[in-house]
Amino acid sequence: MSSRWRDVLRDALGLRLALWYAIIFVASALALVAVTYVLLSASLRRWDRDTIETALVQYARAYMIGGVQALAREIQDGNLAASPGPLFVRTVGPGQELVFFSMPQQWRRLDLSQLETPRLRGEQTWSVLDIGDDGNALEVASVRLPDGTLLQVGKSTDRRRELLQRFRRVLVIDLALVVVIALAGGAVVTWSGLRPVRELADTVRGIVRTGRTDVRVPPSNPDDALGELGGLVNAMLDRIDRVVAGMRGALDNVAHDLRTPLTRLRGIAEQALASGDPERMRGALADCVEEADRVDAMLGTLMDISEAETGTMTLHREPVSLGELARQTVDLYEDAAEAQGIALTTETPQGVLVSVDRTRLRQVLANLVDNAVKYTPAGGRVTLRAWQNDRWAVVAVEDTGPGILAEELPRIWERLYRGDRSRTTRGLGLGLSLVKAIVEAHGGTVGVESRPGETRFEVRLPLDGANLSSM
Amino acid sequence: MRALLVEDDARIAEFVANGLREAGFVVDHAAEGDTGLDLATNGTHDVAVIDLMLPHLDGLGLIQRMRQRGVQTPVLILSAKHTVDDRVTGLTAGGDDYLTKPFAFPELLARVHALIRRATHAPVATQLSVGDLRLDLVARTATREGRVIELRPREFTLLEYLMRNAGRVVSKTMILSHVWDYSFDPGTNVVDVLVFRLREKVDRGFDTKLIHTVRGVGYVVKVA
Repeated sequence: MSSRWRDVLRDALGLRLALWYAIIFVASALALVAVTYVLLSASLRRWDRDTIETALVQYARAYMIGGVQALAREIQDGNLAASPGPLFVRTVGPGQELVFFSMPQQWRRLDLSQLETPRLRGEQTWSVLDIGDDGNALEVASVRLPDGTLLQVGKSTDRRRELLQRFRRVLVIDLALVVVIALAGGAVVTWSGLRPVRELADTVRGIVRTGRTDVRVPPSNPDDALGELGGLVNAMLDRIDRVVAGMRGALDNVAHDLRTPLTRLRGIAEQALASGDPERMRGALADCVEEADRVDAMLGTLMDISEAETGTMTLHREPVSLGELARQTVDLYEDAAEAQGIALTTETPQGVLVSVDRTRLRQVLANLVDNAVKYTPAGGRVTLRAWQNDRWAVVAVEDTGPGILAEELPRIWERLYRGDRSRTTRGLGLGLSLVKAIVEAHGGTVGVESRPGETRFEVRLPLDGANLSSM
Repeated sequence: MRALLVEDDARIAEFVANGLREAGFVVDHAAEGDTGLDLATNGTHDVAVIDLMLPHLDGLGLIQRMRQRGVQTPVLILSAKHTVDDRVTGLTAGGDDYLTKPFAFPELLARVHALIRRATHAPVATQLSVGDLRLDLVARTATREGRVIELRPREFTLLEYLMRNAGRVVSKTMILSHVWDYSFDPGTNVVDVLVFRLREKVDRGFDTKLIHTVRGVGYVVKVA
């Protein structure tokens, strides 16, 4: 777990997110506290002033009714006992003579001349005097009574300040708590929010380190962006796996299948050398060249198959008429077929346009016709047909040969599989694998039906109507 | 005629150079791209055969710089890569033809001759002859010892191709691509069948055989 937390800290994105979370959290808490503080401070001030004003009114009334004695009595009686803290009271007569003065001892140093005094009768003013160094102040309300007497009532702000100070102390502790909660919350939210990313990184790191591509990102909600990313990475890994498996398979096949012709090549050369007969050596050399050509052809075909199967084959698609391709294939093989006494014909309408790689599809048809011509006995027929329905363009190669055994049918598409009957004929055993791979790379399918005297290979290619109607 | 060969593999270079010398060429050989470039800019070659994978300066770079320096020698590219894209890259870089390894030497020689013919604008022949066999390319007729030989169009195309390369071996791959425009080996010996039929018409009943098989390599038309 602790290493997990270290991971979170090390991860710049996680750290940034957590910090942002904490900053926003603390900032909102600060704003809330500041507003509360301002409101509290204002209402305390209002409260103090209310107290002073109440006293002012009361003392003014007492003074007006009973003069200084009544005022002194009023103050002594503590009618304002409810009001906390000592009060400052000063009465100055119209001739600037001090009539009454009451003030707690600790305020004696005050320079009272700084107090603002109203000149008009009935006017009331506020002034504030600093008391000492501790920041306390004396808030004083002054009023000019109708007889010209100045009445001043004041109150220290120390109570208020003390209250606010205590409040601030509490707030500081609270804020410290808020910061801790914010950081912890940010870390938790980030850690759980970034979990899919972390799992993704763990998976990829594991693959980079071990080279094993069979691990997958743990599934999470596929509807959110991170879950979708995980799904996409898994899909990508699947594809890479397929490509790698294909390559590995191709490599294995190449290694295995090249051994046979290489052994043959070596054998031919060795025997000829041992014989010492120039004529035999000449023949052996020609055999070697042929064998080398065969190896080259096999290599090329194996590469083509694996490229087509893994989806790395580049298809140069263009609109191609299947009918035309069928006629070209017949054109290529008609002499060979005629020499074997086979009637090779095509029955195709004009058109049947598909978007395919012309060269690759020629390879497909050539391979199918090649097989048909090879296995059909003299007097037989090989026919190419092309047609289309609403979804597929289809080309079929039919022959009247002996057919393929039922138990061999599923295996004919395998690489290098050669049925019992085909072992004696020349060939690589790769033709049908290549046909299947190329057709499937085009998004099509291949199928075969066979019974003695009638074999039919069918290639279906998807019609991309929207694409071709404009051609 | 003078040919430039830039190829780093000593065995291949030797076999190509020897073949070209036997065919009457004077051959300059370079094993590295930069020395090849020096030779190409300083000498006057009728044709250059350049491998793509070279030390110091690769084949494509070599061809590009040759062209930048105004060297117009026709170039045949040799490469072990066989995809269409590589072919296109090579030709757009300034190469004139492309041959993939492994190749049959006669094919290389035929391509070299074709490049030179194209570059020198050799006059278009209207008649070809080998021994007593004559081919009229305008009337599209073949005669031997004054007797007309009936040929199907494809047989005529093949015979014309063989006679244009008279004395030089033509491989099956070359015939496939020239006669049918197929760039891959379809397996069945369609070429053998056609050659067999042509031979039946051209050589049967005559003392001198003109069409010869070179086992493992291809066919050649020549007198004896």
